[in-house]
Amino acid sequence: MSITPLAGIRILDFSHILAGPYCTRLLADFGADVIKVESRTRPDMTGALRPGEQVEGRQDRPPLFLNTNRSKQSITLDLKTEAGREIAARLAASADVVVENFSTRVMGRLGLDYPSLSAVNPQLIYLSLSGYGHTGPRKDWTSMNMNLQAHSGLMLATGEAGGPPVAISNSWNDYMGGIHGAFAIIEALAERRKTGHGANLDVSQFECSVATLGGLLTACSVNQKAVPRPGNRCSHHAPQGLYRCAGEDEWCALVVETDGQWQALKTLIGHPELEAAELNEIEGRQAASRRLDQLIEAWTEKQDSRALDQVLKQAGVPASRMNRIADVMGLAEAARAFPTLDDPDDIPRRVAGLPIRWDGLRSQLRPAPRVGEHTESVLGDWLGLTPAAIEDLDREGALR
Amino acid sequence: MARVLDLTTETGAYAARLLVEAGHDVVRIEPPQGDSLRRRGPFLEGAPPLEASADHHFLNAGKRSLTLDLTVEAGRQILLRLVEAADLVVANLPLPIKVNDLMQARPGLIFIGIEGDGHELCTAARTGILSITGQPGERPSVPGAHVIQAVVALHVATTASAALYAKDQTAQGQKIIVSEAECLVAMMEQAMVTWTTTGKSTERKGYRGAVTAVSGAFACADGYWMLSVPPSGDGWSRFVEWMGDPRLGQDGALGSEASRNAEKENILETIDRWSASQRKLDLVTQGQGRHIPATPVNTPLELTNDPQLIGRGFLRDVDHPLLGTMRLPVGAIAALRGAAPVRAPVLGEHSREILCELGYSDEERRSLMETGTV
Repeated sequence: MSITPLAGIRILDFSHILAGPYCTRLLADFGADVIKVESRTRPDMTGALRPGEQVEGRQDRPPLFLNTNRSKQSITLDLKTEAGREIAARLAASADVVVENFSTRVMGRLGLDYPSLSAVNPQLIYLSLSGYGHTGPRKDWTSMNMNLQAHSGLMLATGEAGGPPVAISNSWNDYMGGIHGAFAIIEALAERRKTGHGANLDVSQFECSVATLGGLLTACSVNQKAVPRPGNRCSHHAPQGLYRCAGEDEWCALVVETDGQWQALKTLIGHPELEAAELNEIEGRQAASRRLDQLIEAWTEKQDSRALDQVLKQAGVPASRMNRIADVMGLAEAARAFPTLDDPDDIPRRVAGLPIRWDGLRSQLRPAPRVGEHTESVLGDWLGLTPAAIEDLDREGALR
Repeated sequence: MARVLDLTTETGAYAARLLVEAGHDVVRIEPPQGDSLRRRGPFLEGAPPLEASADHHFLNAGKRSLTLDLTVEAGRQILLRLVEAADLVVANLPLPIKVNDLMQARPGLIFIGIEGDGHELCTAARTGILSITGQPGERPSVPGAHVIQAVVALHVATTASAALYAKDQTAQGQKIIVSEAECLVAMMEQAMVTWTTTGKSTERKGYRGAVTAVSGAFACADGYWMLSVPPSGDGWSRFVEWMGDPRLGQDGALGSEASRNAEKENILETIDRWSASQRKLDLVTQGQGRHIPATPVNTPLELTNDPQLIGRGFLRDVDHPLLGTMRLPVGAIAALRGAAPVRAPVLGEHSREILCELGYSDEERRSLMETGTV
């Protein structure tokens, strides 16, 4: 028997760009009905193409939007109009969950903040996914992904001691905020089932990111002293590193976890200096790790990274060549993480799926909606509005 | 409140920690010599060996600790008794007991197994994460503080939450596998979209932004600050007014994101020169005053005095029987719920209590402890 964990859960999604839309995509994958509220005058511009950039397939939305917002429905409301705001509030009255990631005061100005909506629908679960949260001295600070990668400490926890800060060159912080938000919503739904009460989930993306560095922060807080950046080394294995290989920007990672793996590695390298007895134990290898890195790299930089990957693995030494996205796409993991979406109106498109294997889960990939594709059906189903009433609203400009 | 058994090693520990923050009862099952997390640095100064790992203090906070030797039959029998009363087991695979034995011990059990070899650096290399982390042309770096393990754990926690919520939809047990490598490949989705639609490979950009044209860390007198100019809206004109450099404002030639992308290197160099002699906090305060996303590039040590983290109750004082009062992060979900701060258990701290709950007599308990099973 297959199950749909969030079957029948209605999510009214005012979020845009990535953190919020990634959060609601996860919820859609667990079976929730996600209604994306857009505006024809100010559409979600995520992934907008640069002038002159051309792509195949659907042209109504950029490829990144199609990926982030698949499996959702779209309605258009002009929240600048009284009538548009009223429809939004009525939809929220029959929603289970509202998600928004505007800056602090926006939803309040629209009369769509938690106090306004929960007065009508006390069972509502309301997720605000702002940069810093809606309380505290920096609640009005504005931020984007890179700001929070920087502020959370991640960029100065990554890379070599003394070197410049290092970011992960994707929207890492949005993913951290989005997935914490999804977890918070499902837990709040479970709580509501027991208590009958909704919840105001004031999630701070900043705190989500900081939490993923919680142990490091704990060390700094208790010792009141900086922890040296370890680069690619670790406290309990040596040698461990990413070593240069032959060719342009080619690298291979290897980790020696056991004395046996060390024996295998030094046999492969065959350098007399590696025969020193003190290197047979982890303490000796830790103490000599700088020199070991030099000797290992002198060996790896003459070798092809793919061949080296195989040679090391065959010798029992944990290793992996550094793959780029083109290589990653050929992995079995990518076949599962990036399934192909079938849409009669589009080319076959690889999209991000839910990267878990759960046989009992009924989950279906559906194409991202066209702008306002579901306005009529949602207003009909949720609010019981007739086509004539919807047409009136449209004439008033509420549905732009 | 669900009853959760935590059989994870390093990768999954944050998943069970999130379930603690959400109010569930989590028992961490450790080998009698303590788990590997307790041996991972950085360490708290002055703490006894198995109670010193900072990651242990954060990731195991609020869990109950039971030591159990799963290499012997008696230990596995106790585990099965625990499973009989549990709703959810999260574990790193492989386990010293068959997963099907666990599923049989408790009809309707939710089991989430984490698959992967736990070699963080190798997994980062394989999945492409290293290819987008580091200075261009230089040696790539694994993301710090084990944040890629947190990604896997977040997928586990969210899936656990969904499976628990769906418990009344089926009487059947649910066996779910989360693969470390698949979760990290999934973090490459932006690079995947770019590659499959334009054929361009996303490469590492160091401290500069990957998506927005004018985005990156810039050196200043006392470290680095981070600036992102929003690609749309009037952020750019507000920034130009702030900087007051006529070369950037001329004729509105850089008014669009596309034109800024074309002139990116020039713009970034101009900002570098402008901010080099200014102080981080001044730049950030002035920028935020103009609603421009400007923030400090913090060291983790600087964060321990962050007014927002303290003001929101994310950093709170916690008492520990061996270590005294410590100011610790309570976690994003706990902060949200206003939950009382909790501390990590001493090794085996709750073994006796948990055996009592399972109905073992005093005599049985003593014998299990003497033989080293517990």
